[in-house]
Amino acid sequence: MLDTVSPPPSSATQPPRKGWLLWPFQTLARRTSQGVAVTFYSLVVLIPLAALFSSAFTHGWGFFWKAATAKEALAAYRLTITCSLLAALTNAVAGLGTAWVLVRDTFRGKAILNALIDLPFALPTVVAGVTFYTLYGPKSPVHLTLTGTWTGITVAIVFVTLPFTVRSVQPVIETMTFNAEAAAATLGASPWRVFRTITLPTLLPAILTGTGLAFARAMGEYGSVVFVSNNLPFRTEVASSYIYSLASAGDPVGAAATAVTMLVMALVVLIAVSVASRRLVKGS
Amino acid sequence: MKFPRSLAIRIALPLVLATLPIASLVPVSAQASGSTVNVVGYSVVKTIFSKLETAFQATSAGSGVNFSNSFGASDTQTNNVANGQSADLVNLSYTPNIGQLVTAGKVPSDWASQEFSLGGVNVALTGSRQQTTYPTPGILTDSAVVFVVRAGNPLKIGTSWLNLVKPYTTTSGSGKTKVTTKHTYGIVTPNPTTSGSARWNLIAAYAGAIGAGDSSSKAQSYLKSLLTDTVAQPVSGSAALAAFLGGTGDVLLSYEDDALAAVAAGDAVQIIYPSKTILIENPVALTKTGLSNPAAKAFYSFLFSTAGQTILAQNGFRPVLKSVWKTAAGSFHSFGASAMPITTFDPSGWTVLNGQFFDPSSGIVSQLEQSIG
Repeated sequence: MLDTVSPPPSSATQPPRKGWLLWPFQTLARRTSQGVAVTFYSLVVLIPLAALFSSAFTHGWGFFWKAATAKEALAAYRLTITCSLLAALTNAVAGLGTAWVLVRDTFRGKAILNALIDLPFALPTVVAGVTFYTLYGPKSPVHLTLTGTWTGITVAIVFVTLPFTVRSVQPVIETMTFNAEAAAATLGASPWRVFRTITLPTLLPAILTGTGLAFARAMGEYGSVVFVSNNLPFRTEVASSYIYSLASAGDPVGAAATAVTMLVMALVVLIAVSVASRRLVKGS
Repeated sequence: MKFPRSLAIRIALPLVLATLPIASLVPVSAQASGSTVNVVGYSVVKTIFSKLETAFQATSAGSGVNFSNSFGASDTQTNNVANGQSADLVNLSYTPNIGQLVTAGKVPSDWASQEFSLGGVNVALTGSRQQTTYPTPGILTDSAVVFVVRAGNPLKIGTSWLNLVKPYTTTSGSGKTKVTTKHTYGIVTPNPTTSGSARWNLIAAYAGAIGAGDSSSKAQSYLKSLLTDTVAQPVSGSAALAAFLGGTGDVLLSYEDDALAAVAAGDAVQIIYPSKTILIENPVALTKTGLSNPAAKAFYSFLFSTAGQTILAQNGFRPVLKSVWKTAAGSFHSFGASAMPITTFDPSGWTVLNGQFFDPSSGIVSQLEQSIG
């Protein structure tokens, strides 16, 4: 991360005049830290995922395909993708607005709001689930019952993934200068036109990244959704809950196959978003 | 590259502190292993087991014995034990789960007869144990599937299974502005993939329809209506009760014991006893490790003793010990002789039922759910 923001002086590759004796050690240190990073990532992420893949194909391709495309699984994917997409898009708009206000406006309690944005990350998702059940459950104090509906699932996911767009857009707005916007406004462009032609294109890569992350995270959400979904197979059962039921009912291979399918879908989205935002950056 | 010392301390200190609780756990579990009984049970027996364990610890056989408990949806628990979770004694929701543990090599195949070899500490069990006409060895408690409704039964839900899926009407306004609205009862029953309780419920519903004179195809379309009207399928029997108490649905299909516990706890619900239901039999078994653990064997014996069975009876479980049943029968609803159309659920019976109803691709319930979704 630091490297992309401010490339460090290339002292590690070119021996400095003084202290040239240290150069091999610096190279060693750099290599070692790279090694540690890759090893850590492998231990924590790659190896478990490789195990998941190998488990999914324990009984061969035929079994995998049958499990991954079981009717109940397809219904669960459809629900999960729809709700995740709606939630990610909601957060793209709401997150942009929130980030904008947090950077460009000054108001009382701004620092507190800024700190609270990350709350959905800090909170156990089950807590979010219980909160939603209390507020939007059958005994809703506001007479709004969303449990057992796709809307309810989407609302829960919106809450859990809110910080993604805010936190990816916020730093970009902070580094943006007013100059171009001010110039456009002086030349008679309407505020909407300034936003559409100058502000939005600058922010789009960050919005895409945040939305992509939110979508990928939403696909796997379990803790909050399981409280509000009512868990009806083919109707309101999300993919993570379906995977849980397979895994806990003695079908680990079926669970792994379904999980791999979800993983691949999330990966495709993340790669697509990454490619799209790179193109946008190059284009501008 | 500078690495400030203070930063190093800031990173290292929490790491060291974080390992302390883990380190402190290790000696505790190691030292207590001698007289600890690992109990793994289905979700609704969590409360009753804490009562049984306390009572057992007060006996001479149980003094100094510690318990390590784990409760959850029956199929989930079974799967965990099959995959290596420590268990000395398992109390699961239905016999096929024990069968899975036999297949996994965790429970001996003659588990049902443990009752005769071990139950005799306090009482001679052979021939004397059963309450009525359905003797099945290896069963700790009996129960039945009942309907749980809101206190006062505001929707006037009756004792017939078939009426559960019939729409009811409400009228609002009067005269010309009178509006009649059709409703269906919202049914709550756990998810049959994870919950044994759910399987008992759906088989009871099917049996209820057959008992009311339906052909098997009519009983299947009845089951479809019931699943269509189902508004929530939580992961376990306990989770279903919790969802119902939280306001979800109009009728909960439940174990009689769980329903009685909710009523006893003062929850605003009441029980409707269906005119026909199913005899639920919840098995208990010592695992292979449990058989070499004297404390676990003593606890198993206690469960089948007069004292153990009395505690179960006082908490809404139908005791399997004939002597205890004689005194407890008065506090249970009498279903009558013809009320339980399907009664013998030996493991092979359940194997057939599981394949017929709950097979993920070809089972009746799975196919019905698919056609609804």
